[in-house]
Amino acid sequence: MLFHRPETLENAIGIMQAGPVRPLAGGTDLYPGLRDGPPPAALIDLSRIAGLRGITREDGGWRIGATTTWTDIVRADLPALFDGLRAAAREVGSVQIQNAGTVAGNICNASPAADGVPALLTLDAEVSLAGPGGSRRLPLGDFITGVRRTALGEGEIVTALHVPDAPGGRGAFVKLGARRYLVISIAMVSAVVIPAQDGTIGEARIAVGACSAVARRLPGLEAALAGCAPEGIATVVAAADLSALTPIDDVRGSAGYRLDAVREILGRVIVAALGREG
Amino acid sequence: MNEPLPYPAAPVRHGSNSGQPMTRRDGRLKVTGAATYAADTHPEGLLHAALAVSSIARGRVSFLDVEAAKAHPGVVEVITPQNRPALAHDPDSKTLPFSFRMDALQNDRVRYAGQPIAVVVAETLEAATEGARLLAPRYEAEAARIGFGNGLPEPAPMVGVGAPGRAETGDLEAGFAAASQIVETGYETPAQYHNAMEPHAIVAAWDGDHLSIDMPNQAIAMSQASFAAFFGIPVQNVSLRSPFLGGGFGSKAILAGPQVLCILAARMLGRPVKLVLTRAQMYGPVGHRGATRQTLRLGTDAQGRLTALEHHAVSETSTFDDFIEPAANASLNLYASPAILARHDAMRMDTGTPGPMRAPGEASGSAALECAMDEAAQAAGLDPLTFRLINYAETDPISGKPYSAKELRACYMRGAESFGWAGRPLAPRQMRDENGLLTGWGMGSALFPAPMFQAEARAVLRADGSALVETSGADMGQGAWTALAQLAADGLGLDIDQVEFRSGSTDQPDGGIAGGSGHTATAGGALHAAGRDVVARLTELATADPESPLFGAGNSGVTARDGRLVRNDDESRSEAYADILARAGLEALEGTGRGARDPANAEARAMFSHGAVFAEVKVDPELGQIRVSRMVGAFAAGRIVNPRLARSQLYGGMIWGLSFALHEEAVHDLRSGRVMNADLAGYHVPVNADTPAMEALLIDEDDRFVNDLGIKGVGEIGITGSVGAIANAIWHATGVRVRRFPIRIEDVLGL
Ligand SMILES: Cc1cc2nc3c(=O)[nH]c(=O)nc-3n(C[C@H](O)[C@H](O)[C@H](O)COP(=O)(O)OP(=O)(O)OC[C@H]3O[C@@H](n4cnc5c(N)ncnc54)[C@H](O)[C@@H]3O)c2cc1C
Repeated sequence: MLFHRPETLENAIGIMQAGPVRPLAGGTDLYPGLRDGPPPAALIDLSRIAGLRGITREDGGWRIGATTTWTDIVRADLPALFDGLRAAAREVGSVQIQNAGTVAGNICNASPAADGVPALLTLDAEVSLAGPGGSRRLPLGDFITGVRRTALGEGEIVTALHVPDAPGGRGAFVKLGARRYLVISIAMVSAVVIPAQDGTIGEARIAVGACSAVARRLPGLEAALAGCAPEGIATVVAAADLSALTPIDDVRGSAGYRLDAVREILGRVIVAALGREG
Repeated sequence: MNEPLPYPAAPVRHGSNSGQPMTRRDGRLKVTGAATYAADTHPEGLLHAALAVSSIARGRVSFLDVEAAKAHPGVVEVITPQNRPALAHDPDSKTLPFSFRMDALQNDRVRYAGQPIAVVVAETLEAATEGARLLAPRYEAEAARIGFGNGLPEPAPMVGVGAPGRAETGDLEAGFAAASQIVETGYETPAQYHNAMEPHAIVAAWDGDHLSIDMPNQAIAMSQASFAAFFGIPVQNVSLRSPFLGGGFGSKAILAGPQVLCILAARMLGRPVKLVLTRAQMYGPVGHRGATRQTLRLGTDAQGRLTALEHHAVSETSTFDDFIEPAANASLNLYASPAILARHDAMRMDTGTPGPMRAPGEASGSAALECAMDEAAQAAGLDPLTFRLINYAETDPISGKPYSAKELRACYMRGAESFGWAGRPLAPRQMRDENGLLTGWGMGSALFPAPMFQAEARAVLRADGSALVETSGADMGQGAWTALAQLAADGLGLDIDQVEFRSGSTDQPDGGIAGGSGHTATAGGALHAAGRDVVARLTELATADPESPLFGAGNSGVTARDGRLVRNDDESRSEAYADILARAGLEALEGTGRGARDPANAEARAMFSHGAVFAEVKVDPELGQIRVSRMVGAFAAGRIVNPRLARSQLYGGMIWGLSFALHEEAVHDLRSGRVMNADLAGYHVPVNADTPAMEALLIDEDDRFVNDLGIKGVGEIGITGSVGAIANAIWHATGVRVRRFPIRIEDVLGL
């Protein structure tokens, strides 16, 4: 087995170009996923590339480096827009997992139950990729294409996520699990609400995870919420068309329960993101 | 038979060590990592074994790619039924005490998923693991019979470890005929796995026909004898070390196929071999708690008194061996009823054989009984605690014998008081907390037998007045290293710091088994007796010696205290142990002791620990999310040797109860027969954040019959009562009676 530990992005891309090699970040998905099988013939550890880790301000928004850990997110001094992502970070596994697991690892692993994804979707995050063919950037919604499938091309790695500014925006996130902590989500909901001057909802972005192959934004509900006063949220949510969600029955919960629970959490999360409670 | 026996002539008093809340003597070793567990053993020339296990539940192995596995670099040998050397004892026989049929590659049959089908031995663990994967087994599969709907029903004449499958008293039909109200209900409990933190591990090394084994083991001497039988060598040729166990809960009390296979590999290859099961591999060959389906019928009269109690359990077992979870027996000893019937049936399935798992029978049976009692109280319009007091048993209902001691009433009262039970609304769904969460209170009675086994111990007083005490006890994390040493020190009349305690190995006298919550009473009794034996010998020396200030005091005229013998008639006259030995010219003085129950007391009395558990839950009215917010348990379990450790045991038991009520379940894929959640991500136990505010009250109980020291056990009782208390609190919060464990969030919403 080959184990590469490059210290610069250029070296990393060179190694990726040279042959089939699997990126490794925190390893918290990759290693457990091996089960009793052998490791890939070649691994490239991205954790030594300084430029890949950390959160920085950039033109018109924020850049979250690919190997930024969940603990980094929890500890970063970020505006209320990121409250949902921060709450999600605290719910990824346990503290040990949050210390090792990375944001890019979470989206590249592309599990339907990835806790970071709904929050990142409501942040309108974009993904930067680098590879032999150069760099490109695409919306997160286009990056994750299915269960454990992404738009990553041959030899490409994720280098960063970008979150555009949304002045006045506030995020919220709720995860529902069968125990309090260290649990795979039954369902989770994230919201970002940008209030209008008059206290109504200016813009709402809503995403639901663990209820479809890929976490989804709910554009119909988002449109219905625009201009909605706090008192009206419950009615809008009660009437929301959730047919975009296609939950399954599994050991963690039945499809019917998931849909009921999502509707309930939607109301709570939107109210929280509007900043009226909690 | 009901005549009270005379009190023992001179009840044994505890000394200054037991009763103290000492911290663990092995705590420092454990937190610094210096305590060695079996898998930490690395003898010279060690080979590593990995199991290949079956992915089907029934059929036969038709092909193993032995060539491919052998060709992998580092692989030394592949053992399959084809080349597996003979054993001196048939793994399918049940002639050894407390033994189960096991899978040790005796043929190509597969009888459950996860059964060992080959062993690969290699220079490294990685090579062995890869070798096992390369075997790429093929099967001739037959349809798996998993689940109560597909199992093979059979009567169960025997349940648990040799108890009758049916027990009754009184006239059941007359009892039901006399009832003004009959509650009939049923509860389901799932298969659960022990999931001790430390995996099952063994390191085996041969020297000629001497075998040395490092493994976590709850029954050291018994295992020594069984291993000797399997390999056809004298018992004394087997030396087994088990200084620490990272939890056992019953699964490390019973020999299993993988252990025999590891020892066999070591003999075959002439080198030491280590085998550590993976988490997933512990869902099969090393036992589990069998699933049950239980039905109960409770008849009560107009005053709420039970007139008849019937408890029937169908318990899952394997197709090839019997361990029938004796769940219905939970109804035999707790509530007064003129007529009681407990009976069992088996349901055979293609699983590994269940075995004893912490409170085997009592846990699942108590869960169903305590919920059924709650239903009966509800039907009678009575407060659940009042209902239990109305049905308080003054004598053991099934045998009519008096209890050796029973402070359950005090447990109810103290527990209720501490919890704040008074004023609980009778009807459900009446209470909300400040966040709008539905709040409910429930309770359950706790009961666990107080058995004793056989144990021996040795104490040696040394010239400097310190002592060495030995017995092959098992510290499973419960604190045996500490509690047993406290008892030994008291027997010797020494401060605990003067006592060196050796335990956990066949080099020592047989400490019996760490099971049935009887280890402290049994091994501790033996150690205490060994100490007293030394003191008696010392007293003889001193009182017969004209040079001694104790001369002429007579054997009962002195007391051993703080390393000195003191005259009872004149406390100013005493002599240090070291001085007595020195004058007698002795380097050491040895005593021995045995722990066992007085058979006359055992025959005359019913012996149990008792308790009452109260729980508060909060339920999200829309999401159904359940959180247990408070638990209070009050337990009467004889003399408490170490309150700190006892409380830890009781907390642990109560948390197991929470786990049983809300989390634990092995989920089978009905087609393949495999456990789908054979890991700690999928098999849930509570995390710390699920664990409520807890209180465990220790109620004074002076039991003069259970044994000389008045010690019962605290290891298992905490689970009983707790499951029911939580389930009943959920009903009280929501009005929904969930009759299947674990209770899921969607169940309380009635989806
Ligand atoms: C005990 C435990 C509990 C967990 N609980 C949760 C939970 O509650 N919620 C949750 O969402 N997840 C959970 N996880 C999963 C995991 O921790 C997260 O998904 C984490 O964010 C993965 O990040 P990583 O850096 O460890 O990824 P890795 O394991 O290093 O990589 C994951 C995948 O992404 C690829 N990859 C990583 N980085 C890049 C990159 N920069 N470019 C291209 N490909 C890349 C890897 O090749 C691999 O395929 C848990 C895991 C464990 C072991």
